[in-house]
Amino acid sequence: MAWTPDVKGLIQPFTALKSSVEQPYTLNYPVEKRQDVTGYRGFHVNSLALCVGCGNCQEICMNEAIDMVEATGEINPKNASGLVPRIDYGRCCWCGLCTDVCGPDSLRMEGDYTYVSADADSFLYMPKDR
Amino acid sequence: MSKATRHTDTPATSIKIFHGPQHPGVTGNMSMELDLDGETIVKAVTHVGYLHRGFEKLVERRTLIQAFTIVCRICVPEPDPNEENFARGIEELAGLEISERAKFIRVMVLELARLQAHYLWLAGQGGSIGHEVVPQWAVGERDFILDLFEALSGGRVYHMYIYPGGVKRDLPEGLLERLSDLLDRLEQRLPEYDRVFFDNAAVRKRLQNVGVVDADEAIVNGYCGPVLRGCGIARDVRRDAPYLVYDQLEFDIPTETGCDAYARALVRRAEMYQSIRILRQVIARMPPGEFQCKLPRHHKFRLPKAETYVQTESARGAFGYFMAGDGTEYLRRLQVRGPSIVHGFTLLEPLLVGAQLSDVALIMNSLGICPPEIER
Repeated sequence: MAWTPDVKGLIQPFTALKSSVEQPYTLNYPVEKRQDVTGYRGFHVNSLALCVGCGNCQEICMNEAIDMVEATGEINPKNASGLVPRIDYGRCCWCGLCTDVCGPDSLRMEGDYTYVSADADSFLYMPKDR
Repeated sequence: MSKATRHTDTPATSIKIFHGPQHPGVTGNMSMELDLDGETIVKAVTHVGYLHRGFEKLVERRTLIQAFTIVCRICVPEPDPNEENFARGIEELAGLEISERAKFIRVMVLELARLQAHYLWLAGQGGSIGHEVVPQWAVGERDFILDLFEALSGGRVYHMYIYPGGVKRDLPEGLLERLSDLLDRLEQRLPEYDRVFFDNAAVRKRLQNVGVVDADEAIVNGYCGPVLRGCGIARDVRRDAPYLVYDQLEFDIPTETGCDAYARALVRRAEMYQSIRILRQVIARMPPGEFQCKLPRHHKFRLPKAETYVQTESARGAFGYFMAGDGTEYLRRLQVRGPSIVHGFTLLEPLLVGAQLSDVALIMNSLGICPPEIER
């Protein structure tokens, strides 16, 4: 079978070389950092001044990742149970259903998503009070 | 040496190797037990089971709203058709009518998902033949799409956005403008992919006449998506059984007649242009209105005793869900029919017989096999 060289197909791919003089699209981390995204489903925060300790978040969590535990610090006077959610980040799938059902809108998810700890038990995460 | 099938023994001179479960051919874990005569495959048997998480059973034990967060995990590269199927199945069973705006937003999400899935396929196809430029480019372009998903739903890969009764959030301000700018950029870049990948002599040499599917068996065996359209058969759920607002949108069903991996690549390339075309129409016609209809509380949301089968066209083919309600707040049965079930067994095993070892990843990627939807 005669071989007919595909000259165009052999030369054209070299046009990719022009990309080598382009600026990179990636960020120069850590000098440059990503802009925060509004509505990002990152780590939970829970405003203790608003939380009423109803347990709706615990009830809807399909991974059973939320436990209601004794609150420390100043809490909402309407929080009759005195309990606030603690989230097991070994089980959480960041679906956000807990924040959807939160009546007083105290439990939310914000942009933080990095966490480092040598203590595995700290994966039972107490949302920051914000 | 004669070719062996799944049920016959191979000659004693062949060498048996396991290809996988981790390898560049598929997104997920699936292995091929290959019998080789030199570099040529004489028998191929698919092994799955590395990813089984029991999705169908998990859904039966959770309320409808809780279950919605599980289904997207059935397919990693393109989770949104699962969300659409699940939401539309529930809406059909519960008799919910969703707003026009929600329908347009869903089409936007599904087409963006198709586009990013094709970019991911392009990266995999390039990687499987040792092409080092296009995978970097494709993953980079895909990330721009994921940035939009992030702004829209709060998540990059698993969006959990298409919700029974509509969508979870309204469009954030400026998203359609960002999408329009991105589409301009992607469309401007696509000819570069032609020059570097699709028209590349080396790529054509690797993809042409490899993984040739028998077009006569395509319909009978239930092939779908780019595999079917690469055989010259213009079947697409968006056209054959329109859902959402696809019947109001103009788009073509691209086909190729080569039946090989290169034909499937060209089909996907043309589909990327069609997705961009659909997205431009969605941007121009996005109606105002509600994005979510009123739903009962999650533990009081009950489905009647009825069953339905819903289908969505994913980037890899028709994705079907059979759903049955029994009058409670749980689904009695959910059955997932992904395109990979056929492509990963009925098609792949005979297709690999006679192929070269170096083409295994290429063929698997070209069929768009996704193991999680085989063992759901």
